[in-house]
Order: sequence, then structure tokens, then C-alpha cells
Amino acid sequence: MKDLLESIVQKALNEGASFCEARFFEERSNSISIENGIARALSSGILRGIGIRVIVNGRWGFASTNIPTRQNVEKTLRDAIGGAKSITAQMGEDAKIVEIKPSVDTIIHDVKIKLEDVSPEEKVKRMLEIEGAARNLGDKIKDTFVYYGDVVTRVIVCNSFGTLIEEITPRTRVFCRVIAKEGDNMQDGFEGIGSVAGYEIIENIEVEKFSLKAAKRAVSLLSAHPPPRGTFPIVVDPKVGGLFIHEAFGHNSEGDVVFSGQSIIANKLWQKIASDLVTIIDDPTRQCFGHFVYDHEGTKASPHVLVKNGVLVGFLHSLESVAKIGGKPEGSARAQSHHHPPIVRMSNTYLAPGDLTLEEILEDIDYGVYLSGSQYGYVESQKGQFTCKVEEAWLIEKGELTEHLRDVAISGLTLEALKNVKAVGKDFRMDMPGMCGKSGQSMYVDAGAPHFRIDGIVVGGRR
Amino acid sequence: MERIDLVTSVEKAMRILSRLDVDFYDVVASYSRSLSVNIMGKGVKEASAQIDVGIGVRVFKNKGMGVAYSQSLEDADVEAIVNRAVSFAKVSQPDPYFKSIPGPSKSPEVPDLCDDEIVNLTLEDAGRIPKSMIDAAESVRSGAMYWGGFGANCSRWCLMTSTGVFIEYEKTSASAHLQPVYREGDDVGSSYEFDFAISLSEIDFYKIGKKAAEKAVEQFGSRRVESGSLPLILSPESSSSLFSALLSALSGESAVKGRTFASGLLGKQIAPETLEIEDDGTIPGAIASSTYDGEGVPRRPLNVISRGRVITFLHNSYSAGIMNIESTGHAIRSGYRGQVGAGPSNIKVKPGDSSLEEMIAETKRGILVINASFLPNMVSGEFSTTIDEGFLIEDGEKKHSVKNLMAGGHIIDLYGNIESISKEGRRFGKGFFFPSVKIRQVKLSGK
Repeated sequence: MKDLLESIVQKALNEGASFCEARFFEERSNSISIENGIARALSSGILRGIGIRVIVNGRWGFASTNIPTRQNVEKTLRDAIGGAKSITAQMGEDAKIVEIKPSVDTIIHDVKIKLEDVSPEEKVKRMLEIEGAARNLGDKIKDTFVYYGDVVTRVIVCNSFGTLIEEITPRTRVFCRVIAKEGDNMQDGFEGIGSVAGYEIIENIEVEKFSLKAAKRAVSLLSAHPPPRGTFPIVVDPKVGGLFIHEAFGHNSEGDVVFSGQSIIANKLWQKIASDLVTIIDDPTRQCFGHFVYDHEGTKASPHVLVKNGVLVGFLHSLESVAKIGGKPEGSARAQSHHHPPIVRMSNTYLAPGDLTLEEILEDIDYGVYLSGSQYGYVESQKGQFTCKVEEAWLIEKGELTEHLRDVAISGLTLEALKNVKAVGKDFRMDMPGMCGKSGQSMYVDAGAPHFRIDGIVVGGRR
Repeated sequence: MERIDLVTSVEKAMRILSRLDVDFYDVVASYSRSLSVNIMGKGVKEASAQIDVGIGVRVFKNKGMGVAYSQSLEDADVEAIVNRAVSFAKVSQPDPYFKSIPGPSKSPEVPDLCDDEIVNLTLEDAGRIPKSMIDAAESVRSGAMYWGGFGANCSRWCLMTSTGVFIEYEKTSASAHLQPVYREGDDVGSSYEFDFAISLSEIDFYKIGKKAAEKAVEQFGSRRVESGSLPLILSPESSSSLFSALLSALSGESAVKGRTFASGLLGKQIAPETLEIEDDGTIPGAIASSTYDGEGVPRRPLNVISRGRVITFLHNSYSAGIMNIESTGHAIRSGYRGQVGAGPSNIKVKPGDSSLEEMIAETKRGILVINASFLPNMVSGEFSTTIDEGFLIEDGEKKHSVKNLMAGGHIIDLYGNIESISKEGRRFGKGFFFPSVKIRQVKLSGK
């Protein structure tokens, strides 16, 4: 395969491309769906193909195929070159990238228990144990679901700088969802784990902290109340904090969002954009769900400090965004599959810890909302307006957590919210493995934070 | 479009499966070619072409299901996924609700689902298309930074089942969107416009660009609004999420097994008698139409909400089997990757007798919602959403755009509080129709 990729890159140069990247992608996945004590479905899939990206006449062309024969791959190259030529005369900026020293390397991520060493029967048995712990909580449990997924991704990146990188990455993930019911009232609870890891993370699951916890949360939400409406100081747990950092800030720091004028912080490099307490880092080298060694342009990944003590000190970069807005290529370009070109993505993004305990953060809040567990979020980066939906919340009254709340979401303006971070805890956790969507591509990411306080956040509710 | 043979691979998988000890199976293969042109920054950034081929197998043994798929149609890979699916079906456990998979049915073909212009579109042609969107936006106001694109897809699909279903079809689609961003100091004027259709000729690219820029300019000077309870007027773009959420919550096993906020609504009055919603997957040339659903069951029009009352769920064969009725033809199978769900096709909300202008004129104080998702928690029905784009209305007039404003409540209350429905609206993809809707009082969180 490497020979084929190298020959295609050379052919592209011979045919007038000033840059070419040929990328082989293979993903082998397995999943198990458990519902109410029954392993309803087991599934397996293989995705495989080649994506080719070129710069011709100062424009990008990209084409992909999942029929990786030489004949098809050469046709795919012709499509990519044709694509670039097709837009040569159109309004737009010239494509440019920074040239980097070539890397030649092979990375195979080690795991303690290989995924293929565990039989489907054993995996089903373990998932049923995990699900059973939730189902047996009591008669308010209506439905329980456990989903197990493992995937081994093999990516080979070959480009015209001479880079030839192969990286094989296993990821394992499991989540549990529980629906509790009382009369007409239904609520759900959720727990999930995932990492660049083998089956060992499944063996290490303690049901009390996982499926049983999801079940207890679903039941307790039956008697929770709607949140108050208005603008309040909030305190977020590490999951909501991670979601906030990812949505409210992270997308704004992506180099392609910046150079295309869609980021609220595009012109704020080296300016104070947050309170002194805020230091934000995106670190692909941490072995969490968003971990990798080389990005999909073949750039070796390193930790990226984005905000230091409130000052914006960097953006996340592809080779293109570095060329357009300056900075260092630190490896943030990834693609969902061979059918997608690499774009700038977050990896494991987090707010660095401070020095307070949760009690110290809460103690001087007279009335506010404590938010726990993340569901989903989004940002309109061009306006800097974000929304985060959380699993549950509590009222904060005179420094104490009081009334339990459900169906809570928050909305805010990124630049105001970052400046209104008033206290940061020391209890850091990276605890939000998930998939992030951008430009039609879904990508493995993680996020985290310690507990922290933000003032002036709009809390949506129906009270 | 290339004529890659799908039937031979599907037949090969069927032949292997017919010799094995399993109860039911189906095999689906698809081929698709997608062209896209991305707009970023000051104009067109990249043109791309993707070809995707794949085959998927579902096998049932003792009511347990195994699924396997591959992006290779090579004989060895087809055999491997068949064996994998069969071994998985034997490990999975009996699902007491599973009865069978549907048998063959004949239905008149829904016409005009494949546009020759898209089938024959070259990347060179596609590369020229975004120009009119950008030109139109620049004609409204120059100097925007853009995010957007154009995409076209043609796909072929082949399904065979152990119960005798054999379907092949071709379909095309095209879509375009543009988000211009204008800046005046720290003030931002930004909006989004889009369209999609089966045929290229049905998309007015110039109109998308012009509308996107006009809407973006209107967003300058956005201000916060106080918390309170106000009427909401939803544009067709935002009412679409309100009605789509309801039909999704009435679909498939989640609805039938009591897992959505709409599970208990069958036969109940949830909205004024003026609300009528039909789902129709048989509209010629419409984006969500097809002759057969994802299991090979003929599509048919279905009245879902009649005079404000919920009259049916939307079924695939699995959820219909639980209720001992026939499938309504709403199985959704996304490509070759296996699992089959259920959901709406073309959702048509019957026009009312009001108009957007009348709704605004009659409102003393309220919010005109241009863009927001009213998708609730599908289990509880509670929602809390940001009004991503909207205007404060005072004394019958649009005052200013709003920011950092949230609406919250229970989705069922929104249907019950529908005050008026407009006679005009927006048709999406020649099939969906959503009007503007005024909702009496909704709780808002702001400053």
C-alpha cells in the first residue's frame, strides 16, 4: 500500500501538482447493542479506501475511492487534479501550506488486552452484567440500554514533502442509557467511557460508578424541578466544564475557522480574552479519546497552549492555517475517513486546574446554579454565541446545593463568559469522550476541566 | 454515473446465505458518487469527488440479529461479511418483539427521483456553481467572509431479502448553503441560507446568496431581551424542527415501546383543529420520496395529525409487528451499514389562514424566531433552546435582532398553544412544507 501511495504522489507531481497527499484509511469496528437484558444485535464493519488531496494552479482538489486498485486510485488522482483545475478561475484565495520536514514513522498503540483476543460471547456476557446492574435498581426503571463499540483505525499518510506515516489506533467505548418512569413522567440517565485503549477499560468498569450511577440519576431526575430562568452565576462540573471549553472557546480557536473569518477571536491573538484564571490547552498526546501521535497531514502532534492566564496565545493548526495566519504546525488536522479531507480539529481540550476546592468555589455564591453532566452543545463561532445542554443541575443557595433541577441548558457569549470565569478548582478530570461534528465530519475528541465558576450566564428553563 | 454492478455481489451473498442455517436475511449494496465545492473565507476553496461502494448483510437466527458490512464488493470480502453476520446472529439473543421481515409488494414507481443533469454533472461544472451564490451576496453587500458550499450526489441501491424482496433504484440530490459574516468593529452581522432538492434546476443559487446576505445584514445591532413570557412567531425554517420532532417521536419502536414524549399521544388532541400534518413519501420529484421504504414496503401518504389529533404512529415492520398491524412504509435504512430504523419522509403541514405579516402586525410584544431548533429531550419532551437568530417585535414591528436569549418549556405545550398558522410557507426539496406559526406564550430566559 505504501508503494502505491508513494507512486501516486510522484504521479501527481509529474502532472503539475505543487503538493500532493495520498492517505490510506481503514477502520474495523464491532458493536454490541443490549436492551433490557437482551443482546439484540451484534454488528461488524470494515471501511477502507484512499483519499488524495492536491494543490494545482493554487487551488485544492480532493477525491476519494474505496476501491483501492491502482487503476481506480489513478482515476481518483485525475479527479482530484480535475477538481482543483475546475475552480482555478473562481473567486477565492490561493491555497498555500507551510513546508515541514518529512517524517517517516510507524506507530502502533499498545493495549493491555487486544480487542480481537476477547470473543463476542465474552463481550456480550460483560455487557449484560453492566446493563443488569442498572435494570435491577427497582421498578421505576423502564428501559436500559448498553452500547459497546470498538474500532481499530489504520491510517497511512504519504505526501510530497516525503512524509510517510502509519498509525494504528484502537479505541474502545461503552455507554449506558437508562429511562426511568413514574406515571407520565419519564427521565433518562447516561454514562459513557471511552479511550484509546483495548478491552482493559471494559474490565475495569465498576458498575456502581457507571450503569448503576446512570440508573440512579434517571430515577432521581423524576423528582427534580425545572430550573429558574434568567442570568445567574453558575458552577460547572468537569464534564460541563469540558463541554463549555470545547464549544464556547475551542471551535473558535480552529485555524480554518479563524482564517475564513468565522471566529470571534480571529483578531485577538496576544490579547486578553479571558480572566487571569483561564488557561486552555488542547493536548493530543494525552491518552484519552482524542489521542493520536501524528495528525492526518503527517505532522507530529504536541500539546497546544491556546490561552495562558487569560491571554490568547495560539490557535489550532493545519499546514494551511499556519501558512495563512502564522504559528507553529503542531498537528491538529484530522479527517473522518478517506472520503474526507483533513480539517482542523480539537483533540483533548481542557481548562487547566486552579487551586480551589468545590466548597470554596460555592461558598460565596448567594444564588446560582450548579451544572453536572454534559449532553451536547454547539456554537455559532462567528457570533461567539454558545449553547450547552446538561444532564442535571442543582440550585446554589447561600453556598449550598439545594433543589435538584432537570432539563437545563445554558447560553452565553464566548468573550463575556471567558472574562467572567471567577473561580477555578483543583479537581481536574478529563471525562467527556465523544464525537465532535464539523463540516460534515465526525471526529474522536475528549474534553475536561476542574469545577469552575462563571458569572452572568443565561440559564434556560420553564419556571 | 459509473455502472458498477451491485446485483451480482448481492446475489452472491444471497446464495451463500441460502445454504446456511438462518431464519431471515437481507442484503443491501449501494454505490454513490458525490461532488462538492467548499466555500471558505473570500470564495471557493476546494472541489472534491467521492465514490463510495459498500455491501451490508442482516441475518436473523432464533430472533437474534447479526449485522456486517464492508466497503469492498470483492468475493472474499462478501463471503467474510456473510460469515461474520451469521456468527453474530448466533451469539445475539432472541428479541421477543421480532416477528419477520417484510415480503415483496408491488407499487407504482414514484417518478422524477433521478435528475440526469446531476448524473452527468462533472466536477468542472460543479466548480462553477457557487459563483452565483457569492456574486448575489456581494451584490447585497461586499466584503463578507463566507462559509458554505455546494454538493451533488447520485446513488444506486439494491436490496434483496430472504422473503423475496428485490428492489433497485437510483436517486439524486443536490444542496447548497451559504453563511456570510460581516463585521463592523465588534458588531457581527451573520446568517445562513440553504436549499436542497432532487434536481439541480430546482435550486436557485443566486437567491440563496442574496437571502443569506440580506438576513446577515439584518443581524447587526443585536441586543439582549429581558426574561419573561412572550408569544413566539416561528419562521418556516424554525417551525420545521417543531413538527419534525413530533413526527420523529411518533416513529418506530421508540414510540411503540413508550420511550418518547409522544408515545402516549395516540388518539389525543394535542393542538388546535387547524393543525393537520401529513407524511407523504410518494410525492414525485420530492427529496424524501421513494417507491419503497428501507425494507421494501411501498411508501404511502399518511395523515399523522388530523384536526389537531394524533391518529397514527409511523412504522417499520418491527414496530408494526409489536402492534400487530402492517408497516406504514417508514423504514429508514441509511446505506449499507446495516441497522434499520423508522422515521418521517416528506412532512407537510397544512397551510392556515394567517400570514407572517399579520402575525407580526398583531403582536404587541413578542419574538420572531428566524433560526432555532425546538428539538426537545425526546424522552421527557422538555426543551431549552437558544434562539440563534431572531427579532424582538414591539407594537407590530420588528425592533432589533436578539442575542443570548433562550426559550424553554414542554414541547406539547407549544403544539397546544399554536394560535395561528400562515397560509404561505416554505416548501423544502419539493416535498416538505412548513408554514410560519404563532405560539401564544413561551417562557424566555434573557437578561
